[in-house]
Amino acid sequence: MNGVVMALRGLYGVWLREITRATRDRAQLIGGISRPLIWLLILGVGLNPYFRGEVYGEVRFVIPYTYLQFLFPAVIVLNIMYTSIQFAVSVIWDREFGFLREVLVSPMPRWLILLGKVLGGATVATLHGALVLVLARFADVTLSLDQVAVALALMFVLAFGLTSFGVILAARVRSFEGFGVFSNTVILPLYFTSSSIFPLDPALTRAQQAVTYPEWLVFLVQINPITYAVDALRGVLINFNQFTPGWGIGVIVGMAVLFFVVAIIDFARQ
Amino acid sequence: MLSGGMISPQPGAGPVSSAIAISVDALSARYGGNTVLDNVTLEIRRGSSFALLGPNGAGKTTLLNILSTLRRPDGGSARVAGADVVRQQTAARRSLGVVFQDSSLDDRLTAWENLEFHGLVYGMAPRHRRERSETVLALVELEDWRDEIVRSFSGGMRRRLEIARALLHEPQILFLDEPTAGLDAQTRVRIWRYLDELRRTRELTVLTTTHYIEEVEGADTICIIDRGRIIAEGSPEALKAEHGSRWLHLTPRDAAALEAIRAARPDAQLLGAHGLALPADDGASTDAFLTAFRDRLTEVRFQDPTLESVFLSLTGRQLRDRADDRRNADKAAGRRGGRR
Repeated sequence: MNGVVMALRGLYGVWLREITRATRDRAQLIGGISRPLIWLLILGVGLNPYFRGEVYGEVRFVIPYTYLQFLFPAVIVLNIMYTSIQFAVSVIWDREFGFLREVLVSPMPRWLILLGKVLGGATVATLHGALVLVLARFADVTLSLDQVAVALALMFVLAFGLTSFGVILAARVRSFEGFGVFSNTVILPLYFTSSSIFPLDPALTRAQQAVTYPEWLVFLVQINPITYAVDALRGVLINFNQFTPGWGIGVIVGMAVLFFVVAIIDFARQ
Repeated sequence: MLSGGMISPQPGAGPVSSAIAISVDALSARYGGNTVLDNVTLEIRRGSSFALLGPNGAGKTTLLNILSTLRRPDGGSARVAGADVVRQQTAARRSLGVVFQDSSLDDRLTAWENLEFHGLVYGMAPRHRRERSETVLALVELEDWRDEIVRSFSGGMRRRLEIARALLHEPQILFLDEPTAGLDAQTRVRIWRYLDELRRTRELTVLTTTHYIEEVEGADTICIIDRGRIIAEGSPEALKAEHGSRWLHLTPRDAAALEAIRAARPDAQLLGAHGLALPADDGASTDAFLTAFRDRLTEVRFQDPTLESVFLSLTGRQLRDRADDRRNADKAAGRRGGRR
């Protein structure tokens, strides 16, 4: 009993440190705010008029969503991806500047230290995702409280998985500089091939097959787990799915479990 | 191999281990092909102040890392406060306070937040945390800085905060790895006085590693370690009486004089780049030497037995040989890089 209370205090301590550090990191906060503004207000608004079922000047089908609405859930995922994977920097920082030893000689078991860190990183990433939700009105997305609650839950589990992924990267990347390059070569390709900025099926009706894109692109989109995370959030926020609705949730939970387990194994080896 | 303890180690002995804070039995460690610790055995009594003295790269930090459960030994065993450092890590860690050689503070947090974090991680209750944090901050005279971000602290302030943090959870054993580098004399005295009081009242055991002689004069027991082996152990007085000898430190006028002296006296030890040290216990031969070479020397000084001279006569080297220091520092950095 007493042991559980002490473990929870430790967990809270590690979590709180991540939150405190994040609130003092201006650059990260600015990124978290400016990214959705650029993607939604510039790219989204800019491309909005071109998102319609028109082929060579002839309207072939009616699209039930605007481009802004379609893009909105994906920008949430983008913001979560950036913050979660950048979390690896915090892990590298601890290792390079010696703070890691302070926790490693403490009585906290390693897995609990890691859980606290990942929960902290996931909380920050979820908050950055929630910053996008504030812009819902601009994207013409109306949300009920239920939708927001379910979306936040999904966002948190996604952030948890991606933060663990960041820890896994951190164990393999030796320097900050290396990580900067690395994260961009991971985040953006994953984002672009997640059917985030273009639908697999241009009609958005689920009736038409994905035939207008080359097969290799469709293949990349289909094997990208982020595709299903974006799809799950679209299901919740704008009630549109490109895939069977359950898949998204399955992939998000699966990533969280898998990446966290690998992260624990990595962390225990340090 | 010398043993400083009065009682021989017995595996799993309960009542015996209560008098012994740390016991190390035939410990060895290797980095790649290099042996960093070679069959080290020692015992440290509760409430004592024990100093590991040796040059950089002697294996001190490796020994501390093993004792603080950060590294597994490649052979032998060690117990801190009765807990095996490999099999009972949590119990061992709970009894330890550690001040590392390089800062391990979070410099984006305030002094208070660093302490609060430590208290939480060690599972301390809120009131206890607050009281202890205030006590240890007062000890290191950082009360006025409690809400300042650590990044703005000077090296000495960080050191003090780190010592305060290591004492926060009232450990039974305190490890200080090269602890007082960057501290002014006044603070050093204050901290040692407080640690001595804790040793008397709470039987705190203090294990210090250092390559600064000044830090260990006050220790109960000094253990001299070089190239991974213990080469002497005992109280400062005993070591000086047993191994210390009088030395004649001298500076030859030029390189030719230096070579001539080394040819005449093969027992001369090099001191840095230009100096020499001669054993001077035998008055007659020293007089003869001085008569012969008086014109070829610029500086002559007798050195009574000190721990420095103990080290010199045991290893044939100075504790802080500059060229050696630099080489070992490079080596240490290489090892750290390899470990990352």
